[in-house]
Amino acid sequence: MKIIVIGCGRLGAELVGRLYQRGHEVSVVDILKSSFDKLPADFAGRTNEGEAINREVLHRAGIENADAVAVVTDSDITNAVVGHLARHVYHISNVVVRNHDPIYRPILEAYDLQVISALSWGSQRIEEMIYHADLEMIFSTGNGEVEIYELSIPKEWDGRSLREFIGEDACLPVSLMHAGRSVLPTREMLLAAGDFLYVSATLDGVEALRKRIFTATR
Amino acid sequence: MLVVIVSGGRTGAQLANLLLSQNHDVRVVENRPEVLERIHHELPTEAIIEGDALQMRTLELAGIQKAQVLAACTTKDEVNLTLCYLARTHYNVPRNIARVNNPRDQWLFDEKFHVDVAVNQAEILAGLIQEEMSLGDMITLLKLRRGNYSIVEEEVPNGARAIGVAIKDLGLPDHCVIAGIIRKGEVIVPRGVTIFEAGDEVLAVTDSDGANRLSVLFSPLVEKK
Repeated sequence: MKIIVIGCGRLGAELVGRLYQRGHEVSVVDILKSSFDKLPADFAGRTNEGEAINREVLHRAGIENADAVAVVTDSDITNAVVGHLARHVYHISNVVVRNHDPIYRPILEAYDLQVISALSWGSQRIEEMIYHADLEMIFSTGNGEVEIYELSIPKEWDGRSLREFIGEDACLPVSLMHAGRSVLPTREMLLAAGDFLYVSATLDGVEALRKRIFTATR
Repeated sequence: MLVVIVSGGRTGAQLANLLLSQNHDVRVVENRPEVLERIHHELPTEAIIEGDALQMRTLELAGIQKAQVLAACTTKDEVNLTLCYLARTHYNVPRNIARVNNPRDQWLFDEKFHVDVAVNQAEILAGLIQEEMSLGDMITLLKLRRGNYSIVEEEVPNGARAIGVAIKDLGLPDHCVIAGIIRKGEVIVPRGVTIFEAGDEVLAVTDSDGANRLSVLFSPLVEKK
């Protein structure tokens, strides 16, 4: 793929390194030439010095033929404007922008852009790990608003139905694994100790689930 | 009419004062303490909204939902573009006006970000200065909004090439029309046969090529030293 990364800070440089290593054609843009010093020594893609909203700079970076654009500068407003341009002027559907300061995230969402907020995601993950050492998060969607967790059914729940286990919280069972085979769970299914249940849940949903398990095991 | 102005810098504050004097409803959004301190001396308190315009709550506090016009005059082009975009897509503001700070960003100030009118101060100033340099004594009375036309005024000096010549014989370009002549305090409606006299004040509707041509016709045959 031809990928343009705009913003070569720590996040941008890390991203460029990863994409380049996987063999993609990467072109990187930053306003400061010295930012390119952060790139891995073996990086042989294109570097373009200049302002991200300058048409000439974007064209030099190859935006007219790009398959994907990542806009990861530390200015949320620049990211919003450049992301909008990439999508609506250059018709690139695969555009991801970074949210730097969470207070400006609504602006990025107002532009209807795919947003990654390293800060929101990281702090939410840390919060969860502190609360839920017993539940393993295996997949995170969006910026961590909804996640998929794996939990092993404790012996106190052996023979009881999934309905009792899950309740009516913001928590949906997505897969139940018994004896090495997984099935789509229904609420009537009976649980066996040692089964693995996968649930999709918000932070509140998983918190309620954890309380219920904990009460039963005590 | 409610007008929301973002940033109370010199441009924003000047605009707010102008609109207030015409009895419009005005809200100026600003969050820099030093600027707030200044505009609190210049503007009525109810016209000032303290806060970050890039937080939608602040815009809503300024009444953006009911605004007829948004004037985005911050010194950052990305911010002005984003304000126009939000005003239209989220609050249905019917008219967005934005200041262009860097002439290189001019290409972004159109329907891409729902900018209805872009005011490029550097271009306007440079254009005015250039005009003043090239047109000598000609005064631009009014720039017409569409196209490249202006209404200009110039006095016919002694010894000008145009003296004694009828309008139809001047060889004016198509894009230049003599609209009126003020002679000895009286307005004369010009006809093709009207002949210019020294001291005539001439009003013309013209594009820039026509203005250059007029400037030549109304200059004395002997070049100024």
